[in-house]
Amino acid sequence: MIQRISFTLSKMVFAAAALMLVAATSVQAELLIRITEGADSAIPVSVVPFSESGNMPAGDKLSSIVQADLAMSGEFRPLPPEKMLSLPSKRSDVYFRDWRLLGQRYVLVGELTRNGDRVQARYELFDVNREERILGETAAAPASNIRSLAHHVSDKVYEAITGVPGAFSTKLAYVTLDRTSGQPRYRLQVSDIDGKRARVRLESKEPILSPAWSPDGKKLAYVSFESGKPAIFIHELNSGQRTKVADFPGLNSAPTWSSDGQSLLMTLSKDGNAEIYQMNLQSRKVTKLTNHWAIDTEAAWDSNDDGIFFTSDRSGGPQIYYMAKPGAEPRRITFGSRYNARPRPDSKGDYVYYVHQRDGAFLIARTNLKNDEETVLTRTESDESPSVSPNGRMLIYATKQSGKSVLTVISADGGAAYSLPASEGDVRDPAWGPIVR
Amino acid sequence: MTGQEREFTSTGVPAWKSPFALSLALHLLIAGVALAGWSWSSAIQEPPPNSVSARLITQQKPEPSPVVEPVDQPVDQPVDQPDREEEQKELEKQKQAQAQKRQKEEEARKAAEQKKREDAKQKAEEQKREQAKAEERKVEKTRKEEAARQKAEAEAKERERRKAEAEKKQEEAKRKAEEEKRRQEEQRKREEAERKKQEEQARKEAERKRLDAERKLQEKQLEAQADQARKARAEEAQRRKQAAAAKARESQMLSESQKYQALIRERLSQAWYPPSSATEEMTARLQITLLPTGELAGVKLVASSGNTAFDNSALGAVKSLSRYPVPSERDTFETYFRQFTIEFNPRRLR
Amino acid sequence: MKLSAQTKVIALLFSVGLFAGCSTTGESMDDGGYDSDVAPIDQDQGSTVYGGSDQGGISSSSMTEEERMEIQQQAELEALREITTFYFDFDTSEIKPEARDVLMAHARYLSSNPSQNVRLEGHGDERGSKEYNLAIGERRANAVQRFLVVNGASRGQMETVSYGEEKPAVMGSSESAWAQNRRVELVFE
Repeated sequence: MIQRISFTLSKMVFAAAALMLVAATSVQAELLIRITEGADSAIPVSVVPFSESGNMPAGDKLSSIVQADLAMSGEFRPLPPEKMLSLPSKRSDVYFRDWRLLGQRYVLVGELTRNGDRVQARYELFDVNREERILGETAAAPASNIRSLAHHVSDKVYEAITGVPGAFSTKLAYVTLDRTSGQPRYRLQVSDIDGKRARVRLESKEPILSPAWSPDGKKLAYVSFESGKPAIFIHELNSGQRTKVADFPGLNSAPTWSSDGQSLLMTLSKDGNAEIYQMNLQSRKVTKLTNHWAIDTEAAWDSNDDGIFFTSDRSGGPQIYYMAKPGAEPRRITFGSRYNARPRPDSKGDYVYYVHQRDGAFLIARTNLKNDEETVLTRTESDESPSVSPNGRMLIYATKQSGKSVLTVISADGGAAYSLPASEGDVRDPAWGPIVR
Repeated sequence: MTGQEREFTSTGVPAWKSPFALSLALHLLIAGVALAGWSWSSAIQEPPPNSVSARLITQQKPEPSPVVEPVDQPVDQPVDQPDREEEQKELEKQKQAQAQKRQKEEEARKAAEQKKREDAKQKAEEQKREQAKAEERKVEKTRKEEAARQKAEAEAKERERRKAEAEKKQEEAKRKAEEEKRRQEEQRKREEAERKKQEEQARKEAERKRLDAERKLQEKQLEAQADQARKARAEEAQRRKQAAAAKARESQMLSESQKYQALIRERLSQAWYPPSSATEEMTARLQITLLPTGELAGVKLVASSGNTAFDNSALGAVKSLSRYPVPSERDTFETYFRQFTIEFNPRRLR
Repeated sequence: MKLSAQTKVIALLFSVGLFAGCSTTGESMDDGGYDSDVAPIDQDQGSTVYGGSDQGGISSSSMTEEERMEIQQQAELEALREITTFYFDFDTSEIKPEARDVLMAHARYLSSNPSQNVRLEGHGDERGSKEYNLAIGERRANAVQRFLVVNGASRGQMETVSYGEEKPAVMGSSESAWAQNRRVELVFE
């Protein structure tokens, strides 16, 4: 018996050795496929019209507002509801196979219920391929405020998919110019990010420029020519109270806020030529930050409030410069063309966006602050006034369309563009409001 | 011992040569020996194999009681008593006579006195009467006493007899028990001897077998070695032939696999929507298991990028392909595409 | 100063050219669009006749040569001072050579009329950044102001303001519109 055992053992050893050899070779050959590029297009997503119980207020449906928000970001391609094979409102009605056939990645379903003067939305977001629910919530708002509820849903959906908080509940400030009644009429307005619920905050026969949001979203600083020359005002939105803070001889322009809301950067030419100053809003004292015969204007704090980006033509034409500290020696940032102006850094310190001339056209470009790589983002021709969303993912700017100035939103990397409908005349000088909790 | 002999005789087993007799003789011998040794050796208290005999000794020794005294014969009872009893009776008689004598003397005295006191007519009658009565009484009393005494004696005799019987029985029982024990011990000894014998046999047998087996094993091993050597040589030749063929096949499979790798890469790229927060530092690795049809059998995240949205985008991409392009040659499929890893890591972010 | 006939003609031609550039037909400034009511007149050393119903030679009382020269001069300067808009190339505040004479005329006028105030309004075309255009407009206005001061005007008479691209003179997104919007305007008060 022992002899038999040893024979079997030797066979086993041999077999094991053979197996190991095979395994070794197969481990060596185990395939590793590297995917380094993704789809160039926007993510297909389906926002299924929510089921409704009770009287819904008149106006846009919540799901169509959400759909428009997601499309505007440039990162999503919502499926038109008429193409949907079914209209589920809860998980048990979702047949993932149907949505896969339609090539959809995510499906949002929900239910709206009217409770007295409030509307409640119960909604769920599903990952079609993983067949998992990645978001579910019930939220409510006054029935008169369904748009805010919709933007809240958009924010949550955006965050669930991308990991970045959505900016759809933020506000937009901009100036419109109406020339139809002979005399030009300028209006400073604040609206939702999709242009809806616009309210005029200031009306003037003289130009209004450069609205800038305070970090708490409660005030706007801007330039107004109502006295015949440019002066800087601070306008409290809730009360409508206005305060003139800068009216020095010469220019008073390009106001931007520090992140603590205590000071403004501005361009003044009271000392002979356009330079950058910082004004303490309590004391109204100004400190001169640049000192050069060239034009220095359009200053903006970086994401840490340490350094300042600005436009200067000290090298012959306007370029973007950066001083690491107020008053420090500026460093040139842009080199790719002879005209780069109006820098706007994002809140994370990754990129700075600006107006950029190329082949005679004026476009919006951005520079990667880590590797100095410049990318042109727009394909339109007369672009101005870029303003970055507070989550750094979208950009709004003014451009010309059929002779009129309109606002356009693009994804921050230059993807799909979404034009805000403009009703009255020219719309210009957009400023993207902060995320306010 | 006397009793034993008597017992022995009364059971009627005559021959001295019976096994029991032999064993008894033996035991007696041992008993004698052991007795001799009893006084100075305390080891006997342990139960060695011949403790049986030791115990016998201790049991036998302290019993002088089996000696039974014969009982006096009662007066009224038929004499069928052994001499002993008669003697006893005699004694008793004597005692009684003495007692009677004494009594008589007393009475005579009394009568004389009476006579002396009452000389008259009545005295004689009275004396006679009284005497008679007295005598009657006396006789009666004597009879009664006698009866009582006899009864007592009979009872005593009876008791004695019973006691003797009981003792006899006890002795017998003890003897029987001792015999039984002896028998059992003998049995045990026999069985043990038997068992030992068997063990020994078994051991010898096992030893024999082992040696046998060893020998056979060695033989077989040598055979096997020779066999193996032969086989190895043949296999070597075979292997060399196969290696050449395998190499050729491998390179063929490799180029096939590369073609399908490129196809899979292309399909996955088109299906992958990295989140906008993706950075070039993010890498997610997934282990894919496919069926030969190209269908996805399983997917597992083996290395996370640290960013949930990024990981989910990779998982979504992998799961969105309903069929992966795979080679139709089974061995190529098994080598490369049955299970492999996909790494998602964006380069060239716009 | 004494101007030769040829120079006068050239000066007139140039001023006419400037005028022509302001027209809305969008022709480039190099074309000669003669829309003014000043017609080139063949000059000989005689008096210049400006239209009018009085035809057939006028024998005026003879003026002195100097008087005549002065009147001529004045007229010329006045003609020049009709021009109150000065144009610039893209992204510069450099005063064009053709503007210098006009500006000189203005400077002289201002210096001889110290109570005359003027506002210099600087502009830029719509392209590029608004705030930068505001600064460019100011720089252009300042350039003109500096020139006038150098040439006799006093600073106190002048006020500069920039409107950047906010008040274009010409609507549209063509080269010609843009060219006409890159300007400084003198507004006399």
